[in-house]
Amino acid sequence: MRDVAIVGAASTPFGRSQWSLLKLMAEASHAAMTQARLGDRRIDAVCVANMGSARNNRQAGLASALVDRLNLFPAAAETVENGPASGASAVKVGFQAVASGMSDLVLVCGGERMREVNNLEATEFVSYLSHRYAEYPYGVTLPALAGMFARLFMAKHGVTAEHLAMVAMKNHANALLNPNAHIKMELSLEGILHSPHALMNNPFVADPLRFFDCCPVSDGAAAVLLAPAEMTSDLTDRPVRIAGIGQATDTQAVHERPDPTELTAVRIASQRAFEMAGLEPKDISLAELHDAFTILEIAQSEEVGFFKRGKGHIALAKGETQIGGRLPINTSGGLKAKGHPVGATGVSQIAELVFQLRGEAGKRQVKDPRHGFALNFGGFGNSVVATILSRGF
Amino acid sequence: MIDELEAMLRPPALEMAPYPPKFITLASGEVMVVRQASIDEVDTLLEVIDPLKHLHRDFYDIVSARLYSELLGWKVHRVRNEYCLVGVIDGVLAGIVNGRMFDERHGISYHTLALKRGLRVGAHLFAAKMEHHIEYLGEDEVWIVAESPIGHRRWMIEYPLATKFEIQHELGGAPSWVLTRETYFKAKPRLVVGTRPVPQDLLATSRPIKKPDLRTMLVQVEDTLEARL
Amino acid sequence: MPATVNAAKCKSCGALSYPMHFLCPKCGAREFEPEPIEGEGELLTHTRAYALALDYEQRYLTLGIVQMDSGIRVTGQLAIDEPRMGMRVRATVGTVRVTGGSEISGLIFVPA
Repeated sequence: MRDVAIVGAASTPFGRSQWSLLKLMAEASHAAMTQARLGDRRIDAVCVANMGSARNNRQAGLASALVDRLNLFPAAAETVENGPASGASAVKVGFQAVASGMSDLVLVCGGERMREVNNLEATEFVSYLSHRYAEYPYGVTLPALAGMFARLFMAKHGVTAEHLAMVAMKNHANALLNPNAHIKMELSLEGILHSPHALMNNPFVADPLRFFDCCPVSDGAAAVLLAPAEMTSDLTDRPVRIAGIGQATDTQAVHERPDPTELTAVRIASQRAFEMAGLEPKDISLAELHDAFTILEIAQSEEVGFFKRGKGHIALAKGETQIGGRLPINTSGGLKAKGHPVGATGVSQIAELVFQLRGEAGKRQVKDPRHGFALNFGGFGNSVVATILSRGF
Repeated sequence: MIDELEAMLRPPALEMAPYPPKFITLASGEVMVVRQASIDEVDTLLEVIDPLKHLHRDFYDIVSARLYSELLGWKVHRVRNEYCLVGVIDGVLAGIVNGRMFDERHGISYHTLALKRGLRVGAHLFAAKMEHHIEYLGEDEVWIVAESPIGHRRWMIEYPLATKFEIQHELGGAPSWVLTRETYFKAKPRLVVGTRPVPQDLLATSRPIKKPDLRTMLVQVEDTLEARL
Repeated sequence: MPATVNAAKCKSCGALSYPMHFLCPKCGAREFEPEPIEGEGELLTHTRAYALALDYEQRYLTLGIVQMDSGIRVTGQLAIDEPRMGMRVRATVGTVRVTGGSEISGLIFVPA
C-alpha cells in the first residue's frame, strides 16, 4: 500500500447558499486543486460525497456532473452515499484508490444543498436514515433518536443541561473564528438556559435536547485532493499524511443495540484508525467530532478514547476541549455551529484538520499540532468513519 | 388645521390601551426591549423596511411591501386603530410587528418582520402582538393569516390556531385563522415571555431607534438558522 | 400493514428479533415465523419530539424505547402524559402515521 497525502483542502462558506449544489462543489474543488502545483497533471478520479441530491436538488449522477462542470474529462467519477458519514467514506474510497496504485490524483468533494427544500422536508429527508419499518413510521427523526440517547446517557453519567450548553457555547465561540462557519453567534448560558425567557429562546426539540443542542441545516461543500507520497514534494510544501482510517457499522434500529448508550461503531472505527496509524488517543493534538447534537460530542469523546467513560463532560467543564486546552475539539465550530451540509461534513472535518496541521487556521489555530482526528458519524451511529491525519512525512 | 375633506378621510379611532414595554434576554445574552412604536418613529421604520421590499426570499418582499403601506397608512391616518410594536437591541431595530383593532372584541394581526435572525426575534414579537390584543387591548380573539406556508403551519401547530373560515381576513387571500383568549392563555406559559417593568435606563436605550446596518441585516435575512435537523 | 406488529421468531433456534433481518442474528438461519409483539415491558428511554415530518399536525410526538418482557426491544409511540424511565408499559396497536391518506399501524404504549 502506498502512503497517501492530502495536497489541497478547501471549503466553501457553509450556511444558506445562493449557489447551486454543483457551483458549491466546483468552488470547493477548484480551490483545493489550485493549492497543488499540478502543472500538466490530470485528475485521475473524482469521488463525490452526497446524501440527497436526487431528492433535494433534482440532480443524480452527481460525480460525473462535477467532472463535467470542472472539465476534468475523462476522470473516473463516482458518488458515495453513506448518510451523514458520506464525506469521510468518500475520502476513504479516494485513499484506497491512491494507496492501491490504481489512481494517482484523486479529488474528493463532499457537497449538500439542503436549503433548497424547506425545513420540514429537510427533517423528513434526514429521517430516512432511520429504520424503514421499525422507526420511521413512528415519526422517529434524528433529533428524536438523539433525545432518547441523551436521556439515557445523561442519567447514566450525570451529564446535565449545563454540560450540553457548554458544548454549544464552545462550538459557537469557535465558529466565530471560522470565516466559513454557518452560525456566527455567541450564546450565553443565561439566554439559552437560565433566564426565565430561555424556554422560548431555546425550546425543546426532542427533550432533553433543545434548539441550541442541534446543528443547523446548511448548504456547503468541501474538497480535498489526494496524491501518493512520492508525488507530494512536487505538489506541495506542506503535505499532510492520511495516517489511519477506521470504519464500522452498527445496527440500524437504535433499540437493537445491547446498550443503547454505547456507540460501538465509534469505538471500533476509532480503534482501527489508531491501530493503522500506530498512534494512541493521547497522541492526538486536536479532534473534529460529529456534534450533530451536543450530547454526541461528549459521548464520542469517550468512545474514541480521549476520556474515560463517563468523564467526557468533566473534561469539557474543565475547559480541556477548548482551543488552548489539552485536546481542542471542534475548532471549526463543529457541525453545531460551522454547519452540517450532510454530504460535505466528513470532508470538511478532514479539511479543518488539514488547515490546522498546515498552520493555516488563523485565529482558531491550535499550537503546533502533529496529529488530528476526525469522526464522521452516519445515521444514529449506524455507520462511522474515523480518520487520522499527520503533519508531513 | 385639517380641512373638512381630510377629516372625512380620517377613520374614527377606538380608544386603545398602551402596550407596556418589556424586555427579553435572548439566546445570545443580548437584551431586546419590546415596546410600542409611536407615529413619529414611522419614517425610521419605513427607511429600514424599504430595501427589503425587493428581497425575494422568505416572503420578505411581500411582507415588507405590505408592512410599508400599513405603517404609512397609519402615519397619514388612513388605517383605523392600528398599532405597531418594535423589538430593539442596544438601540438597534431588530423586528417589527403590527396589527389593528377590528372592533372592541376582535383584533387583526397584520405582519411580523424579523430584521435580526437566528434569535427567535420574530417568534418573540409575534407572541407580544398576541399578548397586546388579548391582555391589553382586551379583545376576545385575533384573526390571523400568514404569507409564508411554513410560518403559517408553525403558528397553526404551536399555539394552536383554529379555523375561522367564515371571516375574510382583510389582508385578502386565504380565509382567516383565529387565536382565541382561551388558546392564548393556554399557550402563554410556553410562548409569551418578557420581564416588566423595563428599567428606565434600558428603556431609554430603545429611543431613538437606530437603523440596523443594511449589509448586516441582509446577510442575517439571507441566512437563518431557523431550520434545524 | 396488519393490526399486529410482529417480531421474527427463528424457526431454527427460536431467537426473537425485531426488526427482522434477512438472517437470524443468533444462528444465521433464514426461516422465521411471526410472533406478535404484545404484553408488557419497561420503558428504557423516551422523548417528546417537536420538529416533525409533514405527515404530523400535532405539536409533538412522544416516543420511547421499550424492553419487552419477551426479551426484545422496540421503538414505539407513547400514549403517556408523563413518561418516566423504568416505568411499566403495555403494548397496544394503533395508527402511528397517516401518509398520503393511508393509515399506518404500529406500536403505541400505554401505562401498564
